[in-house]
Amino acid sequence: MKQQRKVALPRYGEYNCALKYIVEQGFETRCILPPPLSRRSEDLGARNSPDLVCTPFKTTLGSMIEALESGADTIIMVPGACRLNYFGELQEQILRDLGYTFDFINLSMYNTGKVKDILRALKVINPRRSMVKAGRALYEAVQMVEHLDDITSLYYQNCGFDPSGSYPKIYKRFLSDMYAAQSLSDIRDGYARASHAFADVELKKPGDPIRIGIIGEYYTVMDPFSNLWLEQKLADMGVEVHRLMNVTNDMFRGGGKNMQTKIRDFSEYSMGANSTADLWQAQNFAERGFDGLVQVKSACCMPETDIMPVLANLSRDYKIPVLYLTYDSQTSDVGLMTRLEAFFDMLEMRKKVAR
Amino acid sequence: MIENKLPAVGIPRAMLYYRYGTLWERFFRVLGVSTVLSPPGSRGILETGTRLAPDEGCLSLKMFMGHVDALVGRCERIFIPRYSNYGYTELFCTRYEGLYDQAGNIFRSSAQRFITCNIDAQNGSPEPKAFERLGIELGFSARESRKAWREASKALDQQKKAEEHAQKELAGKPGMKVLIAGHSYILSDPYLGKPILDYLDAANVISLRADALEPETARKACARFSPTCRWLVSEEIVGGVLLWKDKADGIILTSAFPCGPDSMTNELLLRRLRGIPILTLVLDTQSGMAGIETRLESFLDIIRFQKGGLV
Repeated sequence: MKQQRKVALPRYGEYNCALKYIVEQGFETRCILPPPLSRRSEDLGARNSPDLVCTPFKTTLGSMIEALESGADTIIMVPGACRLNYFGELQEQILRDLGYTFDFINLSMYNTGKVKDILRALKVINPRRSMVKAGRALYEAVQMVEHLDDITSLYYQNCGFDPSGSYPKIYKRFLSDMYAAQSLSDIRDGYARASHAFADVELKKPGDPIRIGIIGEYYTVMDPFSNLWLEQKLADMGVEVHRLMNVTNDMFRGGGKNMQTKIRDFSEYSMGANSTADLWQAQNFAERGFDGLVQVKSACCMPETDIMPVLANLSRDYKIPVLYLTYDSQTSDVGLMTRLEAFFDMLEMRKKVAR
Repeated sequence: MIENKLPAVGIPRAMLYYRYGTLWERFFRVLGVSTVLSPPGSRGILETGTRLAPDEGCLSLKMFMGHVDALVGRCERIFIPRYSNYGYTELFCTRYEGLYDQAGNIFRSSAQRFITCNIDAQNGSPEPKAFERLGIELGFSARESRKAWREASKALDQQKKAEEHAQKELAGKPGMKVLIAGHSYILSDPYLGKPILDYLDAANVISLRADALEPETARKACARFSPTCRWLVSEEIVGGVLLWKDKADGIILTSAFPCGPDSMTNELLLRRLRGIPILTLVLDTQSGMAGIETRLESFLDIIRFQKGGLV
């Protein structure tokens, strides 16, 4: 009998807790968690990738290398709507050229729009285990992701106004609960504990705080390492940080109905990948009277570059400032800090004038 | 048809024009719609485009916006088709998908009107349907539009067949041959790609083009080589490289800075092809040819050296 697989998926924000849950509870297979993203992962990825590919490719490649170093023997890569769909094939080639021996399950091979092929993919990961079990774990993992997104968004909206400093502790505890969760009740307990603890903290929030909406490219906007902890930095300045772009909104809640129709003054058709959601979110923030928007994208990201002229018009029409941030494989946050401070000062001044 | 001083439709001579232009032009001609083409690509057009397009956009996007600018005010409506997909696994680069809306936003302050042809089979608008809708929007019946599309589509097929046939003859000729791969809007552009082809010509090298091949044949070859590559245009280029490479002494992979699909397919070709010299040329907004000439020259020397002619 073949030894049990040791499966790994590259790091992606904090969502690895849910991926780990599916692999371990659903497929009863060991899941290797690659080390948290670091300067080393970035370097490893960038060194072995083509120059002009977008940064998530490099970051995930680095994470795969670190996963293999940590003892994984099977790597799973997900499909997607833009270049992401082609990540797997090229990354496998690069890893093989580097001399690693492993099984590679490239889900874009099975992403053909046919249910038959999706079932085939599940069989590959899990030839013997019951589909019912896998289905249930998938359902529970969806709940975990929903809770995770819920707590995360609550955290960044409020942690800038918490004088006691207990917010980060609660959030960290919640994350480790999620990584350790082995059943639905673990997930629910962790969520309940965190939300109660959040509710108990006394916040010192002004009546009309500066509110910033974050939009942007799927990977970079959700992965704190890749965006150099942008949300935390803004929150620390005393900003209410809102981000609608997360897995829950995008995949489980359909992201808001008829988004394309709502933004048709700016864009009649989808401009690729998650551009429609991005523009709708930007408009939504603007209509709700937010003070500013930050667009987060990785260098060479195609759809996000394409929506820049649209965002510029949206910014003009709604009179809302937009800060465009492009992330390459840089590892210093000094430049980012300067730009954020300037943006914050500008928003603060604007607000004073408006009052 | 409404009689008007201005031509009804303006077509930017950039991006997918070089791949599907025959189809569009023939479609409009059969219907009797007057068209105007933007002038051939030049340094001036690229400079205008660079000013208009987002800084981080690719060279071809900048060129495209320059062409659109050249048409503003010169026609009733500028034709920017939206090529999204032919089905779940037959996609296009997202850039072509956003061009129509992007141009609409960049040129919002001008009174210019735009017209599109939305090819998006996943959302109920496959190519025949899309052209039917385009015809109806221009004031023709569905029947007339369908007929025009059929004729235009046939013309495009014939053009591709003729290109393949002509290249087969070229490949049979004696002499050093280089296979040059890249998007047709790079290679056929008089400002971007033509200097490279001219240089090879002057050096007495026969240049074969990877995209001179029937698309279906090329796509099949690509599907065997790289199953998850789903950008139709890139598949045609990769398939072309695979099928023509045995006829050539070397391969030049061209790409526009920073082309998304090329950044990955070219890397895969570099990693998977063995036994043939390959040169990668990334074109950007720099205007001088000197750097490219040096690289081409040394590449040709390598090929000659390998063939034993340089000793």
